[in-house]
Amino acid sequence: MLDLKNVRFAYKGMEHPYDFTVQVQPGEIVLVAGRSGSGKSTLLDLIAGFRTPTSGSVRLDEKDLLPLPPEERPVSILFQNDNLFDHLSVARNLALGLPRGTSPADETAAITEALDQVGLPHYGDRIVTQLSGGQKQRVALARTLLREKPVVLLDEPFANLDAETAEEMRQLVKQLTNKQNWHTVIVSHLSEDAEVLADRAYWLENYSLAEA
Amino acid sequence: MRSANPADLALPFGFGRRVTGAALALAIAALILVLFTSILSVSVAGSSASSTVDLPHLLRMTAIQAALTTVLSLAAGVALAWALNRLKFPGRDALASLFAAAIVAPGLVIAFGLIAVWGRAGWVGDFFGLFGLEWTGSIFGLHGILAAHVILDGAFAARVLLTRLDAVPASRLKIGQSLGLSPLKRFMLIDWPALAGSLPGLGAIIFLLAFTSFPIVLLLGGGPANQTLEVAIYSAVRLNFDLEGAVLLALAQLAFCTLVIAPMLYFTPDISVGGSTADYHWPQTTGANTLAIGVLGLGLAGFAMPLVAVLANGLGPGLSNVLTSEAFWDATWVSLSIGMSSALLTLLLALGLSLGRSAFNSPFARLTVGLPAYTYLIVPAVVLSLGFFLAVRGTGVRPQSAAPFVLITANALLALPFAMAVLGPALNAIDKRYARTAQSLALSGWQRWRYVEMPLLHRELGLILALGFCFSLGDLGTISLFGTNEFATLPWLMFRALGAYRSNDAAAIAALLLILTFVAFWLPTLVFKDKRDA
Repeated sequence: MLDLKNVRFAYKGMEHPYDFTVQVQPGEIVLVAGRSGSGKSTLLDLIAGFRTPTSGSVRLDEKDLLPLPPEERPVSILFQNDNLFDHLSVARNLALGLPRGTSPADETAAITEALDQVGLPHYGDRIVTQLSGGQKQRVALARTLLREKPVVLLDEPFANLDAETAEEMRQLVKQLTNKQNWHTVIVSHLSEDAEVLADRAYWLENYSLAEA
Repeated sequence: MRSANPADLALPFGFGRRVTGAALALAIAALILVLFTSILSVSVAGSSASSTVDLPHLLRMTAIQAALTTVLSLAAGVALAWALNRLKFPGRDALASLFAAAIVAPGLVIAFGLIAVWGRAGWVGDFFGLFGLEWTGSIFGLHGILAAHVILDGAFAARVLLTRLDAVPASRLKIGQSLGLSPLKRFMLIDWPALAGSLPGLGAIIFLLAFTSFPIVLLLGGGPANQTLEVAIYSAVRLNFDLEGAVLLALAQLAFCTLVIAPMLYFTPDISVGGSTADYHWPQTTGANTLAIGVLGLGLAGFAMPLVAVLANGLGPGLSNVLTSEAFWDATWVSLSIGMSSALLTLLLALGLSLGRSAFNSPFARLTVGLPAYTYLIVPAVVLSLGFFLAVRGTGVRPQSAAPFVLITANALLALPFAMAVLGPALNAIDKRYARTAQSLALSGWQRWRYVEMPLLHRELGLILALGFCFSLGDLGTISLFGTNEFATLPWLMFRALGAYRSNDAAAIAALLLILTFVAFWLPTLVFKDKRDA
């Protein structure tokens, strides 16, 4: 279980710190909604290790994550944009998610399988700029699969997609979370995400989370 | 209800802007034509005379030093931008704006600073002397020219490239950090793609600046072997009175710039040196940090040492002598008044041409209106100055009596491409965002300027004034053909002091010129603050 207890953090000049408490079970999707600037992305930054809380604890199955730098945390993160390196092929982007020293044969096999899982077989040789917004997010999800990290953070991942593609992506995230037992936290302002995707939803207001 | 103004209905949208832009473009083109004809007429009239100009050697030398300067400056710029991007420390922004000021630092002063550090009687020589050793190195020659160019152009490149690195989206940095990219992979996958697009255009600008560099080559060239076209033109006119030779060189310079440099500038990037957009810092490994500190320390020492030397030497015994001299105050007054007039003219020309250009729909019309602004790219300072010199001489007037007008005009034309490069992208962005709204509200050209463009262009207007003033303040190329004992600017006064071996006077003028340049560069950018986020 991913367990955040009274994780406190304040930006310079803020009078009141954020204070986050939330638990996410394996295979569960927790959605966090809130107004722009309410601190949704800050919550993800604190879990991923991009920002350091002033107090509180972040644990995964009792293991303290706070001492770990972002690259060593069992966390994958996906943003609205910029998840992929545009000048690299899809396969090269995916290979960055594999452990160092993976043999070329294993690398090819793993990439092929991951692309199959996200519904993009034979896309390995494509350049990222040739992909649509939805395809880019699928490739980013495929890399998340390859990284085999149990915590998946999604920061407004479907905001730039058309309704149909967003719906397909929701199904894919739901399916992968169940299958991989991910602890998935999604930050979104789309009501469809709360209705279709979330197992539980929180509203972020006045610097803390309240179950919706 | 607001009634429609018949004048608004009679005239198509942006009519005034198009007419102004076209008229200014035509006036500049006509002026260039007159100067060009003056140069050509001397060439034809004197075609039977013999000249001692070694054109192939000069072309080769000029091109080699410009190419080496470009490669070295880009390498230094990338390294410094990388180091500055990686390190967060108090004063980082001040250091970045010091690098930005390199574009306007007078070449003559930098060259003088290098001599003060590396020359026989310089700091390095003094240091060797402490151990009873003799410093035999020389700053004069190709390596000295390259060092001075790399200090100025490398620092400028670093500032431009830092803007690109600081603009890398935080989400991209977080993804890279989450993936555990090594420092090398981070550079290759995140930094290099952000930098690569700017390098051809930046390289073209640096090549142009080095190709047309005048005071640095004049002071550090160390003789005819390292002469470049610009210095050779100056020598032909002022020292050898060989007008035919000067014209031949000017034509060679024109041909080279038209055929090689102008096409390269197709890649010219936005040279705006605005603030940082980075909102996330990805700390790196100790090894990479140490390397960044080393690179920054080395770069800072190379850039700052000559400046510190200029200030340390200048604010010493020679200062009171200079401050009590009438010639100094006359030159200061001339420099300031010409600088301010030139800055204002640069701003008016840049605004007229840029607004006019953006009011045309046809790409050909836009190109035609914008093109004369890039005069400097094919007609460098000394050639432009020679054209003015010959044109004024042809009217029977003493060239020196036309000097103020020539200096204001020539310096404004020299600063114009940079002003256009600052204004163009900003105007395009405003156009893209607000043009349709402005049109739907039927705003007149004046209303559009008053309420939309001017408030959003504050920072650019300040930067253009600063660039125009500082370019004029540091100019030695144009004044070199027009300067006299009676009519001098600060750089000309300093150059003459050097020629007369009054090195204390030259040092004091250099220090004051440097202080004046930096204050003038920063002051308008402070007054004309960016209002976009207000």
